[in-house]
Amino acid sequence: MGSKITDKKRKSRDSDSESDDELANGLFDGILSQSEDEEDYLPSDDDDGVEDSEDEGTGASDDDDDDDDILSDDIPSDVDSEEAINRLVKQQGELEITEPGVDPKREEDDGADRNYRIEKDANGGERYVYDEIDPVYDSDDSDAKGPVNTIGDIPLSFYDSYPHIGYDINGKKIMRPATGDALQSLLDSIEVPKGWTGLTDVDTGNPLNLTQDELELVRRVQMGLLPTDVQDPYPDTVEYFTSIEEKMPLSSAPEPKRRFLPSKNEAKQIMKLVRAIREGRILPYKPPEEREREEEEQEEVHFDLWQNEEPQAPNPMHIPAPKLAPPGYDLSYNPPEEYLPSKEEREEWENADPEDREKEYLPQKHNALRKVPAWGNLVKERFERCMDLYLAPRIRKNRLNIDPNSLLPKLPSPSELKPFPTVAQTIFRGHEGRVRSVSVDPTGVALATGGDDGTVRVWELLTGRQVWSVKLNSEEPVNAVRWRPTKDAFVLAAAAGEDIFLMVPTHASVTPALDQASRDILATGFGYATNGQQPAAPVGKEPAAKWARPGTKLEDEGVLIRITVRSTVKVINWHRRGDHFATVSPTGQRSSVAIHTLSKHLTQIPFRKLSGLAQTAAFHPLRPLFFVATQRTIRCYDLQKLELVKVVQPGAKWISSFDIHPGGDNLIVGSYDKRLLWHDLDLSNRPYKTMRFHGQAIRQVRYHRGGLPLFADASDDGSLQIFHGKVPNDQLENPTIVPVKMLKGHKVVSKLGVLDIDWHPREPWCVSAGADGTARLWM
Amino acid sequence: MDEPMVDASGAQVKVTFTTTEADLQLPESKRQLLVPADIRRYGLSRVLNSESMLDTGSIPFDFLVNGSFLRTSLEDYLTNNGLSLESNLTLQYVRSLIPPVYEASFEHDDWVSAVDVLSASSPSGRWSGDSFQRGQDRILSASFDGLLRIWNASGQVIATSPSGSHGGHTASIKAAKFLTNTQLASAGMDRTVRVWKYTESDHFSGDLKPTLELYGHTGSIDSLEVDGASKRILTASADGAIGFWSTSKASAPEADSSLLPNAHTSKRRKVTTSVTAAQRGPLSLMPIHSAPASAAVFDPRDRTVAYSASQDHTLRTIDLTTSTVVTTHSTTHPLLSLCALPRGNNSSPLLAAGTAARHITLVDPRASAATTSVMTLRGHANKPVALCASPRNEYALVSAAHDGTCRVWDLRSVRPATQEEGGLGSVSEAVYVIEREGKGAKKSVAVAGEGCKVFGVVWDAELGIVSGGEDKRVQINAGRDVVAE
Repeated sequence: MGSKITDKKRKSRDSDSESDDELANGLFDGILSQSEDEEDYLPSDDDDGVEDSEDEGTGASDDDDDDDDILSDDIPSDVDSEEAINRLVKQQGELEITEPGVDPKREEDDGADRNYRIEKDANGGERYVYDEIDPVYDSDDSDAKGPVNTIGDIPLSFYDSYPHIGYDINGKKIMRPATGDALQSLLDSIEVPKGWTGLTDVDTGNPLNLTQDELELVRRVQMGLLPTDVQDPYPDTVEYFTSIEEKMPLSSAPEPKRRFLPSKNEAKQIMKLVRAIREGRILPYKPPEEREREEEEQEEVHFDLWQNEEPQAPNPMHIPAPKLAPPGYDLSYNPPEEYLPSKEEREEWENADPEDREKEYLPQKHNALRKVPAWGNLVKERFERCMDLYLAPRIRKNRLNIDPNSLLPKLPSPSELKPFPTVAQTIFRGHEGRVRSVSVDPTGVALATGGDDGTVRVWELLTGRQVWSVKLNSEEPVNAVRWRPTKDAFVLAAAAGEDIFLMVPTHASVTPALDQASRDILATGFGYATNGQQPAAPVGKEPAAKWARPGTKLEDEGVLIRITVRSTVKVINWHRRGDHFATVSPTGQRSSVAIHTLSKHLTQIPFRKLSGLAQTAAFHPLRPLFFVATQRTIRCYDLQKLELVKVVQPGAKWISSFDIHPGGDNLIVGSYDKRLLWHDLDLSNRPYKTMRFHGQAIRQVRYHRGGLPLFADASDDGSLQIFHGKVPNDQLENPTIVPVKMLKGHKVVSKLGVLDIDWHPREPWCVSAGADGTARLWM
Repeated sequence: MDEPMVDASGAQVKVTFTTTEADLQLPESKRQLLVPADIRRYGLSRVLNSESMLDTGSIPFDFLVNGSFLRTSLEDYLTNNGLSLESNLTLQYVRSLIPPVYEASFEHDDWVSAVDVLSASSPSGRWSGDSFQRGQDRILSASFDGLLRIWNASGQVIATSPSGSHGGHTASIKAAKFLTNTQLASAGMDRTVRVWKYTESDHFSGDLKPTLELYGHTGSIDSLEVDGASKRILTASADGAIGFWSTSKASAPEADSSLLPNAHTSKRRKVTTSVTAAQRGPLSLMPIHSAPASAAVFDPRDRTVAYSASQDHTLRTIDLTTSTVVTTHSTTHPLLSLCALPRGNNSSPLLAAGTAARHITLVDPRASAATTSVMTLRGHANKPVALCASPRNEYALVSAAHDGTCRVWDLRSVRPATQEEGGLGSVSEAVYVIEREGKGAKKSVAVAGEGCKVFGVVWDAELGIVSGGEDKRVQINAGRDVVAE
């Protein structure tokens, strides 16, 4: 204990370095004990420490105490303790006064705020008159109520002869209180006031009255009971802070020896258990089922804290780290031979600067995984990866998340657009060489074909039976065959070389009446000519064409008229009424386009001059318009006003064919540069839609004329393409064009595939003419 | 017959035999049996024929499991259908069907457009009555060369019609039918229907004489149907008209003179005929179709009712007594062929019509015009142009198509239509496919049946399935027990 006190003093001095040595007397201890709350605990602490040290040895306890002190002295930075110190200083000032031999001048040095004043006393000496001590708010000085008699421990009877009963702290007499007269005191003694004791208060000289509580207290003291009325005078301390001192867990003290000795008591207990297990009184483990059940019960306790948690989108600012490339074969510990570097490659790699190496590693072969050495560059690699992730800025790129299919226009599926031809159903064989042209008659029963062998053949459409044929020319191919488009007669026009033949292919199914009607239609022109109504050809000018009978041999076959023009006719197109037809001879220069009138046996050349080579020509299906296609443009002429109405420029390099929609407002154009173009005549002179589906030139395009929204093209790549092309009634809507079927079957012979195409007048059936010598019916 | 059900090594399946055939019923106690799992149709058939079961000797049986014929072993069937070996299988046994095996071919000079059969059970044989002699089975073939040929069953030509210059057809014949064993009718692309008198001097030679030329159609006549009892002919022509004709000179009206071959004086070749037959017109000519009419048939139970099919997508019911159209059924495709399938208990027939969309559609003529087809028969790769009902039962028919096949259909085997097929109604698939025999057809499957189109088919109870086509042959296939009774 002695050493502890000196320690404490030392610490105190350290903390209050300005204090004088004079303050270091025995009283200092008491002041500290008043000011520091913790000091109250110290004695008991020390007692514990002593007891501990008796157990564990003195060295340890000393250390403990030191630590304690340090802990307690570390506190003064607190505001409360600072106040306590200030108070302490004031009290020191008081002490100095009561203490003799103190130099008062030292106090004067302290400054103006002294708490006393100096007065002259009766003897003329100095006298210090102190201010009233102003107790701070929570001061426990509750005794200083009134003047306190300072006479000390002498009986009051000493002052019986004086008017006063003593002196207060300022030396003033405390006067004896006035006592009542005898009668009053008698009355008082008769009527005992509350708390009357019959004693006199020493301090004041007044009769001492005690309150009921005080009397009770007195009574209890007299009875030897507890002075206050409490149940348990010694309750267990409920400590605000624990008083149990934690042992230092990291003690360097050697383990006590007893720890190494097996405890006999424990051995006894264990033996008891062992015996019990041996005898089967207790089971070391629960039976497995029970254990499982218990485990399950335990498991049942677990519950998913996040089971109701809804998945949340990751933080929008989160950018995941870019992934590393997955390892390849050359990173395998046992790569295939071709991944192993050759000697030169190895040398080159080793000699190269590490920065210049293409790869960080050389593929190596180990014959067992356990022989693979550690990867020396692991730390470096990881570090570089971390640096990459840390230093390289990552940017979130906003990709356009659009399904490319959704950008495509919505087209109905081909299966909804049925019917359309899908397969070849009849093959018409018979022509030697190419079939150049096909035409289905207006009743839909007969098919006419013309080919390289100079023959025109008529077939039964469904069975493929040839019912009629005629050889028109042994040298020139038949370039075009077209049925006259009315049902009242059965007239076929065919062009072979420079000759156009008009014939009545009378096979057995043609009734005599129909046959006669057809012949009459063809023959009327002869009478017209002989009657001299035909305008005479200008003198000196060769007539545009010569109409004549082809000779008895052909006439017996049914070929009734031969029209000879100046150059090879490639295209025939009838007017819808069947009286006129247009022919085109692309090589014919000025007279390339001719319009023939059947009833007058008249041939006219409508164009004196044509810019470009005429390719094909056609009549408008409804109005008196005439379309002529040159290589680049299609011109539309009004036949009544005799003027150019429109110029359509499809943009194709070389137009091969065109066809006018039965409605009259749309046009399809096929070109030798593989394009199929749809024109809306009202809309623009540029194509509404361009389709490039063929690998080779398009030879022929054709609308269905029987009310079905179909059109087809024929190409040199041997295929036909069938399109659904619906022209809406509403002028504002655009036509729907959907390719529905590619028909393949024709063989390509010397780069020519399908040469002509025609539709059945009612059904979705089409007939194609192929360079392979066949015509095919597709349905 | 051993006991085939004893098989120690393999698994066994419990089967229950059922049948609808009254003469082949098993006793109740024998219907359930354990059979080896790897047993096939043949084994099961032997089990049923064994003494312990039916004791029938050797009737071949087929087995229906869940509506389909068992074609694999039982074990495979169970695994394919995801059933366990323990499940009890119900096997319905029916008399086994014999595939329509090829029997003979008769060579022609040109494409064969139509065939007909005269036999005891054929309609013409029945119309012949007592005059038909046993063994006088004849096959009539019409050819594109304009000739009719009559064959006996062993493939000898007994009679050939005269050529065009001698009173025969001047163009291809498209249809021909026996009326009786002494009379037949033919029609063709020369727009005429000709009635012939057929006489046989002995069993190896005969004579065909034209007795009547019927004029009226203005287009090729594609189909001809006869009724020997009432001596009436029904024709369908490419001009869209249905003709109704009489075979007797007396009852037939005069022909329209403009249609006669020498009606006009043009410079075209005259057909000079040495033999002249009487020229007559139609009893009635009904231009009821807007497109070529492809076929017309009599109602099998009422000869005053006819049905006609046309390329204008319609199927019309005609009352022949008044020559008026009673009902019109519109279909979605052009119709190319027609046949009436008689149905029992005197109800109206079911009509089978071949369409240009390569299937055969079955139409109930009683149903309202708005309803679509009852069933669709799918499988042909080209236009079915001829149909013939089975002579033995009302569920079967045979079709001939331009794809070079005849197909035998059993209307009882039905599956619902798939989404691609339109999803509506039910669909049947062919039971048997009869390919063309001969050098051309064997080589390769030609595009669209080119070179082997079949134009005509007849199913006779005795001679079998007789068909003729582009390969210039009449082909005979066995027709007995092809479809379950």
